[in-house]
Amino acid sequence: MSEAKQPSWISRWWFAPAPAERLAAVRIVIGMFALAWILIRIREGYAVAQLPAENFRPTGVVRILEAPLDPELSLAISIATAVLLAAFVVGFRFRVLAPLAAVALLWTLTYRNSWGMIFHTENLLVLHVIALACAPAADAWAIDRRPERPATTGYGWVIKLLVALTALTYVLAAIAKLRIAGMAWIDGEQLRNQIAVDNLRKALLGDSIAPLATQFLDHPSGFTVFSILTLVFELGAPIALVGPRLAKLWALTAWGFHVGVVMLMNIWFLYPLLGVAFIAVLPAERPFAWLIGWWRRRAGMPGT
Amino acid sequence: MNRVAAAVVSIAMLVATASPVLRKPWDDGFPLSPYAMFAFRRPTKLSMEYPLGITASGGRRYLAPWIVGSGEVLQALRVIARAKEARTLPALCATIAGRIAPLDEYRDVASIRIVTGTHDAVDFLVRDQLGMEQERARCEVRR
Repeated sequence: MSEAKQPSWISRWWFAPAPAERLAAVRIVIGMFALAWILIRIREGYAVAQLPAENFRPTGVVRILEAPLDPELSLAISIATAVLLAAFVVGFRFRVLAPLAAVALLWTLTYRNSWGMIFHTENLLVLHVIALACAPAADAWAIDRRPERPATTGYGWVIKLLVALTALTYVLAAIAKLRIAGMAWIDGEQLRNQIAVDNLRKALLGDSIAPLATQFLDHPSGFTVFSILTLVFELGAPIALVGPRLAKLWALTAWGFHVGVVMLMNIWFLYPLLGVAFIAVLPAERPFAWLIGWWRRRAGMPGT
Repeated sequence: MNRVAAAVVSIAMLVATASPVLRKPWDDGFPLSPYAMFAFRRPTKLSMEYPLGITASGGRRYLAPWIVGSGEVLQALRVIARAKEARTLPALCATIAGRIAPLDEYRDVASIRIVTGTHDAVDFLVRDQLGMEQERARCEVRR
């Protein structure tokens, strides 16, 4: 009898088990954020879709278009995206509708980014939804009937993929700084100038400037510290994959970083600011399990 | 899904996400981006086009970006820049005037100027020092 081949350490690490409920909770939280994001921005997206055609600069998948869509069609796609995302959240016909929801979200947000300015507040959300749509993320807490057997791959790899995607985006940001400016980026002047110019644009366009911008711009030496901390935090993002404690510590640092961005630039990366981008590093199933247990007790139903 | 398929999905997503590192850093895209937005060296002096609301007494008011056409500052700036390129600033000026005419918060605005302003960001924000402004278009707000 031949001895079964032992999985490599990388396979054991990547496929380390996690409960189906954790992945389901992550699906619900990220899906709800995506749904809310689409609904909240639907009106603005419609307004942008009505801009003169010369403003249309297609990017990503929208490059298949040579001219903008009719604004009403663009609105209809946004509404369809919201409906598909609702199905994603509740885990309805997940195998079919979740990939459609991911494609619809990709299209809708790419279309919004195709009007002369690419924002960077939605990239990670799209990547996370695509990853979840490719995974057995509705094996628990879904309208779909629970499968008789758990997924053979387990559920931990999806959680790890979400964390890896998050970490990678921050590492890319650091690489871009080092490729363009090199170590000169840490002298603080570049960061200070970026913050100053960004706030100036806001002021001239009648938008609110950041609450701490003027105070710090008057004391430029502090930006050297901010620059070093930024690079260390971004390049150090992969530590989130080492273990749960380091992952939580890094996520907390990332959250603090984004609070700093609000304070100095008034740029709201809501996905990380609300903690949704980091939900995969947390035992996200616990509050849901508590809520379900409370509801069952209240309804006099037997426990799960 | 077996482990091989899961590994393929994982690797494909990570490679795709990392792929912008092979492009020029300024070659941005969505959702695959090199995230170079804060990487570029830039001076504190900035020239840009923007609309101003002018009150009857000659006072100046900055106008919210959505009045230009997008709630996002950078997208609104692109709208003005494109109108300048296309030589349609007077038409954009009239559009802006039409949008603010019914708004209570801009009741005191009598006319719109679209200007090219050149300011030092630190002087403007910290020391309230205005740079140079050159008028590109002007129109009345009709109510």
